[in-house]
Amino acid sequence: TSFRGAHSRLTQTIAQQKIRALVSARRDRDRQKRDFRRLWITRINTVIRKKGVYYNYSKFIHELYKRQLLLNHKILAQIAILNRNFIYMIYNENIKNEDSKE
Amino acid sequence: MVTIVIRSKPDRIIPQFYQQKLRLSTLYPSLKLPFELTKMASTTLTCYCSSLCSTLQFLQNQNPISKPLSQPVSRFLSTPISPPILTLQNPSLSQLYAFKKDSQIDDEEGDDSESVDLPDFKRNAFARPKLSDVLPDDIEIPKPGTPEYDDILEKLLPKKSPPPPREEIFAVVMVGSRQYIVIPGRWIYTQRLKEANVNDKIVLNKVLLVGTKTSTYIGKPVVTNAAVHAVVEEQLLDDKVIVFKYKKKKNYRRTKGHRQPITRIKITGITGFEDYPASTLEAETVSS
Repeated sequence: TSFRGAHSRLTQTIAQQKIRALVSARRDRDRQKRDFRRLWITRINTVIRKKGVYYNYSKFIHELYKRQLLLNHKILAQIAILNRNFIYMIYNENIKNEDSKE
Repeated sequence: MVTIVIRSKPDRIIPQFYQQKLRLSTLYPSLKLPFELTKMASTTLTCYCSSLCSTLQFLQNQNPISKPLSQPVSRFLSTPISPPILTLQNPSLSQLYAFKKDSQIDDEEGDDSESVDLPDFKRNAFARPKLSDVLPDDIEIPKPGTPEYDDILEKLLPKKSPPPPREEIFAVVMVGSRQYIVIPGRWIYTQRLKEANVNDKIVLNKVLLVGTKTSTYIGKPVVTNAAVHAVVEEQLLDDKVIVFKYKKKKNYRRTKGHRQPITRIKITGITGFEDYPASTLEAETVSS
């Protein structure tokens, strides 16, 4: 695991490494929120692009906001993996009501 | 019966394969032999290796004169070997003196003494011990394929009941400004619900999506009249998170521990979504 070698054996380096560990934990807790959002976006993107040429994540999210759907990225990404059909149903809904809204 | 006395002279090393091939009817390990024993002996073998004697298995109590012998301690006898066989090809042992007359006399004398015929105990020392060696012959152990074996297994193994059947339905619920995928029968951690006590029944109204096996109900933004029923299990604190502020070379560090208050909620059921317009995969209509 981490704290390899001298980092777990020598007292001075142990103190230093502990500080660095806590600092990076604090920093990464904020980064975690960014990292996961990035991951979700890429996942939604891959699933949505199968619905046609020139159709991608940005258009999909734009449609979502227009329809006032509140589903967030986390949920969408999970649905994309576990029950892929639900995202396609959302997409169908958007297409169905597109012309009527316009 | 031929009695052979080994008189060992020290310290000429004999190759190992010679050592293993020695068989004698009576043996005496001592280096200094009493005169009486040499009288009894019909042959004397002189071997030029003291360790050779220790390779030989001794049949104890062969001769009434002899004392019960202790087993020789040697590394060669760590494995029980079959009775070693003498080969006369061994040049060092070629100094054999066979006295036939003496052998006849010795036969008569030998009748009085106890003759111990040890059975040839052939066991490969490196073989794994088996149950069948230890158990009596009457017992039959059931073999792995048979139904009797399966019966025994069933009794011994712990029994796990299959998981209870669950409604195949899920919902997306918004609680504490976070969204969760929720299944009846499972629990989730949410932000602390302040006025809720343990074992209170709770209804969550913000249902954004409901999915069953046959259809989905996509809320815009909320599925109207849908409700998720839940029971508060516990009001607790999350695991501690250490907040450590540090500026290097400026002698500034601050340590703070933080435990976020949390509620554990068990979901009991999802209701109220049936009237809402459902959507399916094939509902693609081209509107004019």
